[in-house]
Amino acid sequence: MEDPSVEKIAISGPALASMIQRFSTSRGAVDGLIFGHVSLIAPTLSDDDSSSSSSSSTLIATVTSFFCSNSSLSFYTPSGRVDPLLLRRLAQPQPPSSHLLGWFSGRRRTHLRPSLREFAVSNSLISNPNLTFPIQNSPVPIAVDLKPCLFFLFASPISDQTIHTHEYRAYQFRSSAHSFDPKSIDIVNIGPAFRGHYGAFSPNSQLPALPCELRVSPMNVDKGEESLGQLKKGLKAQSELDMCAEGLEVSSLSRLMGSEAVNYTSGVEELYEKMLVKIESLARQVENSSAKIREQEDHNRKLRHKATRTAGL
Amino acid sequence: MSTESSPPLIAAQLNHLALHFPLLAKIEAKWSGSKDYSGVLDRFTLAISYCLDFIKWDVIFDAEYPMSAPDIIFGPEDESFQQFLVLHGEDPKSPMNRLGGWDSRDPTQLMLLVQELRDQYMAYQMKRVGEVQDDRVKFEISTIAFREGIEMHLSSGYDKPEEVKFAVPLVDTNINKMVPGCPWIYPQKIYLQVIYPVEKKYVSTPSAPRLKLVATPDLKTLFSIDDVKLPTWLTGMCMAEYLPPLEETLEKQVLEAVSLIDVRRRFIEALAVQFGRPVEADPIFCRKTTFLAASGVFTFLVHLTITTQFPKQPPAIVLQSSQHFNPQGVPIKSLPLTDYPFSPRWEASLMAERIWDFLADEALIFKKYCNEQY
Repeated sequence: MEDPSVEKIAISGPALASMIQRFSTSRGAVDGLIFGHVSLIAPTLSDDDSSSSSSSSTLIATVTSFFCSNSSLSFYTPSGRVDPLLLRRLAQPQPPSSHLLGWFSGRRRTHLRPSLREFAVSNSLISNPNLTFPIQNSPVPIAVDLKPCLFFLFASPISDQTIHTHEYRAYQFRSSAHSFDPKSIDIVNIGPAFRGHYGAFSPNSQLPALPCELRVSPMNVDKGEESLGQLKKGLKAQSELDMCAEGLEVSSLSRLMGSEAVNYTSGVEELYEKMLVKIESLARQVENSSAKIREQEDHNRKLRHKATRTAGL
Repeated sequence: MSTESSPPLIAAQLNHLALHFPLLAKIEAKWSGSKDYSGVLDRFTLAISYCLDFIKWDVIFDAEYPMSAPDIIFGPEDESFQQFLVLHGEDPKSPMNRLGGWDSRDPTQLMLLVQELRDQYMAYQMKRVGEVQDDRVKFEISTIAFREGIEMHLSSGYDKPEEVKFAVPLVDTNINKMVPGCPWIYPQKIYLQVIYPVEKKYVSTPSAPRLKLVATPDLKTLFSIDDVKLPTWLTGMCMAEYLPPLEETLEKQVLEAVSLIDVRRRFIEALAVQFGRPVEADPIFCRKTTFLAASGVFTFLVHLTITTQFPKQPPAIVLQSSQHFNPQGVPIKSLPLTDYPFSPRWEASLMAERIWDFLADEALIFKKYCNEQY
């Protein structure tokens, strides 16, 4: 009973596509962590849904984000022992609703079966008592904590003759049986067919909570010298906003509420526009740094090959 | 850089494994997992001999990180083996320790890893067989587990009935030492394979196990196990009862087979009296010899192939012309001749004499046959 079975694993199409993309563009094997939440879905009482006849409620794991290390052995030893310090460093900055659900591994041209090391890593991961997390919507009687038991495996076929280029499979590592339990993956996209999933959606906004009534009226500006503290607060809020949007002043946020709400639409449009500008400039930065990283990686690889070649002689 | 090769550090591991572990593990397919260079072979399938069969595991290195320890993917039927390995990972002899402290500069690492994995696999299979709920299997294990070198295997599948397989090494003597000038590098062995179907519920007369003798491949030049007739398995028998008489007869037969080498040698020596020195002869097992003979101006080679059943079976004679060739330039040969005057009770000299006499007539027929081929 201490090891509840996850019925299925839901992941958004873009998240899965992005994982596959990271795997297929990397030079060697990759691994990483997957984050999200597990929620309890109570049995539906509707008549038109006779298929879900099981009386017990089901657990659904929803993967919302992931971290890819771009290499293998990023948080564990070659014998599959998880290094808690490395793991903490990789898993740290997570919003409170998101938990470490498990990890993934991608290796080119291998069989789609968990390897010895993957088994050892999963076994080590669930043995860490500090990584448990609660189930969402869980009624009090079965408030069982879950462990990071999920494992996604990505591979590409060994033979060149196959039509498909990638294979993936998801497992839950069961601590009671010490084995991998294959689970079905539910790919969630936006659209009418996926409306049922919206219930499990938990909004998590990256926009910080900002005090937008600051400097609402120009009168406040006149009395500015006596509220240095407020000014500091305002600057801090501005820098926080600059993380999300480019060239938008905190004061203009007030247009989104209160008496000026007639300008609401244009205010929101301005916010979105500035957010897009921000994203664009971020994308440009990422592009430039990626090119630099690639250059450095190429250089490192050449050095490494040289090193192993001389070591092998 | 050659088009298809392994990175030097990985190649050194593979070479060492291939050189020092030839009977137990074979490297089958090698392929590349590299994104940019498909010629860098860094993964391969290992076929490991176990319980008279082969288990196949994939060993996955990463050409990008040739200094890292490899990973292993077991066969689909052996997936619970990794559970066994990880749960026994604290064991000082566990292969997990070697993976943890992998030293890529030491070329013996892979071989040692494979050896440790195989040892663990043996322990794993023994544990699985020990857990089988079958009284007969339990009894057999308790009575023969002390035998050295015994291997067992539980085979099960979704659509196959469960079976327990034992591979019991027979005849404790070193056969290699019995053959003077023995060319075999590895010790030759004979095994009895015993397969029990697992009986889930109690049956008063359990069916007899399937029995088969298996020998290492080189042994057949000395002794063919296909000629051994296994004693029948009586109802209610067990291995501890069955094995001693079988081993006794086998030991006798091996001794006899070794003594037959001398019988064949004397026969070849007797032939030399008639034909002159052989052009070629197998000096160790005396299974083959070739003489040059002539009938008038027609010269031809006489190939004699002597079976391990000699003198019960006459040697097969093939004549090969030195003067006639087919359009491809291959010398014309006769079909194997076995139907000629011969008796196992004759002295070797008499056998040789009669073959000589027979060939005097046969040579004319063969010459005519050769001439017709033109």
